[in-house]
Amino acid sequence: MIEVLVERDAALPLVHCSLALRIGSVTDPPGKEGLTRLLFRLMRRTGGLSTARILDERIDRLGAAIWVDVGQSTSGVHGTTISRNLDGFLDVLSDIILRPGLDVSEFERLKREAQSELIDVLDSDRSLARRWFARRLFAGHPYSRPTGGTKGTLAAIQIEDLQERYKQLFCPENLVLAMAGDVDEGRAQAFADKLGSALPRGNATSDPTPEPHQRPGRHLAFVDKPERTQTQILIGCLGSHPHDPDHIPLHIANTVFGGTFTSRLTQEVRGKRGWSYGAYASLPVDRRRRSFSMWTFPKADDALACVQLELQLFEDWVRGGITQDELDWVKAYLIRSHAFAIDSAAKRVGQLLDMELYGLPEGYHTEYVSRVGDVSLEQANRSLRRLTPKDLLITVVGSQEPILEGLKAGIPHLESSEIIPFDAN
Amino acid sequence: MDRDALAALNASLQAGQRITHLGAAAFGPKLSVERYRLSNGLDVLVCEDHSAPVVAYHTWFRVGSRHETKGKTGLAHLFEHLMFNETENLPKGEFDRRLEEAGADTNASTWLDWTHYNIAVPSDQLSLVIQLEAERMGSLVLKEPQVESEKEVVANERRYRVDDDVEGAVNEVLWATAFTKHPYHHPTIGWMADIEGFTTDDCRSFYEAYYAPNNACVVVVGDVKAADLLREMVNAYSGLAPFDLPLEDSWPEPPQDGERRVELTQPTSTEKVAVAYHAPALGDFDHPALAVLNEVLSGGRASRLYNRLITELELATEVRTFLGPFRDPGLLEVYASGRENIRAEQLLEEIDAELEKLLREPVAQPELERACARIELGLLGGLENVEGRASTIGFYETVLGRPGAAFERLEAMQRVTPSDLLRVARRYLKNDQRTMVIVRPNRDGQVAA
Repeated sequence: MIEVLVERDAALPLVHCSLALRIGSVTDPPGKEGLTRLLFRLMRRTGGLSTARILDERIDRLGAAIWVDVGQSTSGVHGTTISRNLDGFLDVLSDIILRPGLDVSEFERLKREAQSELIDVLDSDRSLARRWFARRLFAGHPYSRPTGGTKGTLAAIQIEDLQERYKQLFCPENLVLAMAGDVDEGRAQAFADKLGSALPRGNATSDPTPEPHQRPGRHLAFVDKPERTQTQILIGCLGSHPHDPDHIPLHIANTVFGGTFTSRLTQEVRGKRGWSYGAYASLPVDRRRRSFSMWTFPKADDALACVQLELQLFEDWVRGGITQDELDWVKAYLIRSHAFAIDSAAKRVGQLLDMELYGLPEGYHTEYVSRVGDVSLEQANRSLRRLTPKDLLITVVGSQEPILEGLKAGIPHLESSEIIPFDAN
Repeated sequence: MDRDALAALNASLQAGQRITHLGAAAFGPKLSVERYRLSNGLDVLVCEDHSAPVVAYHTWFRVGSRHETKGKTGLAHLFEHLMFNETENLPKGEFDRRLEEAGADTNASTWLDWTHYNIAVPSDQLSLVIQLEAERMGSLVLKEPQVESEKEVVANERRYRVDDDVEGAVNEVLWATAFTKHPYHHPTIGWMADIEGFTTDDCRSFYEAYYAPNNACVVVVGDVKAADLLREMVNAYSGLAPFDLPLEDSWPEPPQDGERRVELTQPTSTEKVAVAYHAPALGDFDHPALAVLNEVLSGGRASRLYNRLITELELATEVRTFLGPFRDPGLLEVYASGRENIRAEQLLEEIDAELEKLLREPVAQPELERACARIELGLLGGLENVEGRASTIGFYETVLGRPGAAFERLEAMQRVTPSDLLRVARRYLKNDQRTMVIVRPNRDGQVAA
């Protein structure tokens, strides 16, 4: 049956609800990237065999919001409602899940809309940097495939593909229900039972994604866009896995390096030199290993110097590690600030949901504080061996004319470079 | 804190120190905000909420970009950055390092009417926050290398938010064109030449003019006891003397005489249009009704503009409206981004058709009720943690002088009638007083996506 997670807090008359699946877009068929996202978006429009307009008015009248989210590894229908209208809200959710409609004319309209959005996103340099960093770092791996599809793959998707995808995904075994706020466990369980009894039984869809592999060497992917005064830079390699024995130590070391405003990267790039408004390093978590990356956005004239500085800081960190003072400081920060990870019912149920969706190790959240406290300096510094200064992808979004040649010449040990037009597929 | 407890607290203070209770304001159905003032004029608003062991400590200064003068735009925002630097007792970097070590989450923001410093911290670390905030309010050290470095950071922020961002650029031109006399004309981040031209003396003068206890309000929400908090605050802030605050020497914006239209060329693939109508101040009687109208226009996918431009006619990928929440009259903005090969004029024609309909036909009661339900959800959704509550209380206190005004406004919006919507539509949606920015792509050719 459908798994149920509840965190009650009646301080505000609000209820949050997520119906989430342990599968996302990575299993979209090749050539039909964007399929799962289209399915969820269409369900949100035609649930209850309704028209999009009528369904939206029904949701608005309740003082509610319902949205869908499709990532590579997970997907879901999420919503919030004023609690006095919870019954009506759950009826709408139920309609979206059990009677998705999947009207053909709305499907064609949605495809046209999705294709137009692909053009709009080209206005965002930050999105372009993320897109090409993922595509090149995970080249050949499912994580390189676009969740939203491309113009060509969207065109190839037919309504029958959505109908088939719906049958694959929507069975009780794939669903997790998470509710938080002014709601009790009995109400949540009754809703889960209603959905579970109405959906056909099936098999939980497994995630076939293999572990990614690091491409050897340093490579530059330059995304060329006209009239940029600034660059968007992402530098990185493969990162951490929540089941790695050194996952928490690496998380700690990364927080020292680029996880806070006083971290080494932020202080050197922003604090001392003023080169970039932001300078951060991140280690996202997923079901398979994701990336480690440094993000900065200096003006075009400072791009080369900024890349060189980041590479030097990265090497110094990986080879030299962090200090005992830094470790003591970061432990205090992470342990004390953990209070804000659990200060609302929605956040607490979000942690429970993460555990279920991503298969995180037992105690990943509940024992976080003690695990952070237990990490030694030697463990933190040993974890840095996982990162690879000689194998790095450097993604730069900018105008090639003034800076590309300088980057190619000035990045130490660069093995290859490519120019990608910003509007490339 | 009851009257006897406050009297006992006052009796324990040094001569010349006194805490005055200015009353209480309801903050929704369950919480209340107690208002106090210290002897030096610092306002303190306290909302006790012991549901989690955390506290939000927000400091609002009643200075924003509206207080800047020509040639010195962006100073309030640059100064917000400088407030994280050295103080007399803390070397550079130490302010942030100590806060992070305490587990704090800290940030700041500047807008037209105010500057806001927000810190959230585990409640057992609150004393440190009080000490640090008092320290930087009274003892900030401004040195040239730090000012120069921070100017670079802000210039890069401007490139990120405006120069290389289509919507940022449009918004800046829209306001600069709609306002000719009032200081809302210039952007909060400042013109690039002004940012580059600031001196350390400019920054020092600004600090000495505006960063006074009697020009600030501290909002504390969360797991705190008012008596303990106030005792610590008196100890920390009592050394800060009130200032004679500068006279605000600005003029109201004269009525706009005729439509203003600007065309921009940007490195984008599609045409866009932004239209702005002069709108009332946040405290104006008409503002709640116009806020409901704003929701009717673009709140959610069943809203009029979304339905017309995106769903029915498939002309746009995005459409939204925004009603400024400012102390002085601001703008009601409409922004639409066209689909491939759609001209801005086509977007404008449909926007005009929808707006004109609001002048002719009353909004039906069910549509009005849907808009109000969405607004109620939006308000409640922003109050789920101490940070959201402190921001809401502090914003309304700073702009309107009423910390519980968020709920008062909600009630006012729930009282709005179709007649009110007709009235404000006719009063404010005047085409001969509007400003428009049209964006044309600067490159030809099909974009493959």
